[in-house]
Amino acid sequence: MKFTISRETLLKPLQLVSGVVERRQTLPILSNLLIQSTGDSLNITATDQEVEIITSIKTKVDEPGEITIPARKLLDICKTSPEGAQLTFKVDGDRARLLSERSRFLLSTLPAADFPVTPDFDVIAEFEISQKELKKLIDRTQFSMAQQDVRKYLNGLLIEVIDDMLVSVATDGHRLSYCRIETKNVKSKSFQAIIPRKGIQELSRLLSDSDNVAKIKIGSNSIALELDDIKFTSKLIEGKFPDYERLILSNPSINVFADREALRQALVRTSILSNEKYRGIRFSVTNNKLSIQAHNPEKEEAEEEMEVEYSGDDIEIGFNVNYLLDALSAISEETVQISMIDQNSSCLLQQPEDSNCKYIIMPMRL
Amino acid sequence: MIIHVDMDAFYASIEIRDNPALENLPVVVGGSVKHRGVVAAASYEARKYGVFSAMPASTAIRKCPGIIFLPVDMKKYLKVSAQIQNIFLTFTPVVEPLALDEAFLDVTQSEKLFGSSASIGRKIKQVIKSELRLDASVGVARTKFIAKIASDFDKPDGFVQVPVNGEQNFLDPLPVHLMWGIGKSSLQRYLTLGIKTFKDIRLRTKDFMGEEFGQQGCSVWELANGIDTRTVSSQTQIKSISHERTFANDIADIPVLMAILLELVEQVGQRLRKKNKLYRTVTLKLRDSDFKTISRSKTLEQSLDSTSSIWHTAKALLNTVVQNRGRLSGAYRLIGVGVSGFQAPPSMQQSLFNDSKADCHSEIDKVTDQIRERYGDKSIARGKSKSSIES
Repeated sequence: MKFTISRETLLKPLQLVSGVVERRQTLPILSNLLIQSTGDSLNITATDQEVEIITSIKTKVDEPGEITIPARKLLDICKTSPEGAQLTFKVDGDRARLLSERSRFLLSTLPAADFPVTPDFDVIAEFEISQKELKKLIDRTQFSMAQQDVRKYLNGLLIEVIDDMLVSVATDGHRLSYCRIETKNVKSKSFQAIIPRKGIQELSRLLSDSDNVAKIKIGSNSIALELDDIKFTSKLIEGKFPDYERLILSNPSINVFADREALRQALVRTSILSNEKYRGIRFSVTNNKLSIQAHNPEKEEAEEEMEVEYSGDDIEIGFNVNYLLDALSAISEETVQISMIDQNSSCLLQQPEDSNCKYIIMPMRL
Repeated sequence: MIIHVDMDAFYASIEIRDNPALENLPVVVGGSVKHRGVVAAASYEARKYGVFSAMPASTAIRKCPGIIFLPVDMKKYLKVSAQIQNIFLTFTPVVEPLALDEAFLDVTQSEKLFGSSASIGRKIKQVIKSELRLDASVGVARTKFIAKIASDFDKPDGFVQVPVNGEQNFLDPLPVHLMWGIGKSSLQRYLTLGIKTFKDIRLRTKDFMGEEFGQQGCSVWELANGIDTRTVSSQTQIKSISHERTFANDIADIPVLMAILLELVEQVGQRLRKKNKLYRTVTLKLRDSDFKTISRSKTLEQSLDSTSSIWHTAKALLNTVVQNRGRLSGAYRLIGVGVSGFQAPPSMQQSLFNDSKADCHSEIDKVTDQIRERYGDKSIARGKSKSSIES
């Protein structure tokens, strides 16, 4: 195998795929990238056996072939090479030679045949959507995914098609994010798929803010997306996602309308003096005012006050301030509507008169 | 300076104090004539016959046919223990209780107020005697280890002070079996190596001890040289909560073992929740008729505090032990269960979808804890536990 490529052409694809490669590996070959060159293109594959990303680069290939080489090292060499450098890549026996002007590198390799590639799967549903819309859907919900929860199905993002809606839901058991978009052109069969946390984080990096389409294929335990020159595949998490519909408040008795950015900034300031571990703040609405209070084990205290409009009774309720901040950052409107029932029931944050994105947060006991 | 206070024949002495008719008689607390059980404490009169604590009651009867068995009255001992604690606290705030009947006190900062550490030690003895009419043995020394050995040196009613720089003279002649960490099995190895006294250990090099006895050998060498850097800590974190029971007769019947295990699990669960802790590890302990102790643990993925979760794991551990031992599983004389691996108290964050089963269990635990707290442990129990089968 032999080809020559400019640093700039190679660097971006390498950065896109390398995120998948785990720093600590049980299987040595998983820290390598699979590089396959054919007549006029180069395919680079990275995998952790759960998520696989393949990117393809148009370039002239002198000698076709395939090999695996250490991902991190190749990326670092490429990153630190001078701008505009031409890199010549050549496989010699069990070594890979990388040459550019005054630099020479000899890298170890492992046979391409040993590289675990994700097999094709039977497609049960498929549809297309613009990358921009899919990215929005993911980014507005993914922060609520659980991390290493024993309930495995919470360590991922639910993607679901119901009727003509594409829905994404994430929850860690304390809060839940829900977002949906109309998909008149989708015409997909209904399905539910839980994409693991790592897959979602990688996918969010890969998606662009463009109108370019993402082609999505769902199998019984895998999902594949085609985005421009990239093919992304992820295993799905087995298990039943919680029934989120019943968690969304239908008849809240208290509705607060606040300036989103002002509230966000007040929370950021208050949070400085909240308990570093539990992040609790006290949230009270009375006399057309919202007051936010925090204190910590060092007995330091913070208090913020702001004017709000509200209907219903006065309320005093505790929250993890991080959950509120995450939700407020995901909402884009100027005003946020906060709906509550009492201090032991869930709270709903959303844009007024917009039921497409909903953020549910369970309170903390005061 | 550190003071170690050790009450003499604690349980037995309290019983004799409260019933003078027992004075000068061989009395033990725990165990009974009919059943076996284990001696929890023996009076000095009983000790003359060779009866000691942790001895099976049957052996005690053989050694001393006229021995008097008294039931364990834990509430009374706890009360006396608290009174002793309060006496300690009038001399220093740095008190580390080791058990109901012994504690370490660091009196370094109290010498200006109450005089030398030796005189504090004597005062503590006097106050315990005059206020509680009980005997304590006291050891005063520079380190915990030496203070503890000193309190044991002249028991009962002993008082031994090891002066600073007099440690070597005190330690050197002591026989090796008094050393911490030297049990029956390793004692033989020490003796074959010609090590009979602390001095014999001290004269070896630390490297030699390390090679012969590993990590244990190194710490033994340090102790023999009077090196002991541990401080008296008044806030010892609890690391585990456990309950165990020795049976009147060996039990081979697995359902009976299960019923007893469940009763113990309920007690452990209640104490765990009272301490506001979450556990991760459950340990099952069994001792068979041959006195062989079997201990099995399982660590869970989640931190929990429900009785049902402890029971679930303990039951599975017991089943595994019984299965592995097959038909020859035999009879057991003791069963115990404990939890450890404690986590910080649960945060006040409420959950979105409470697993209704776990939720209902925590509600059951809350209510039963309240009932037991108010009406006693026998007032409510799970249907399969021993106490409910008996009543």
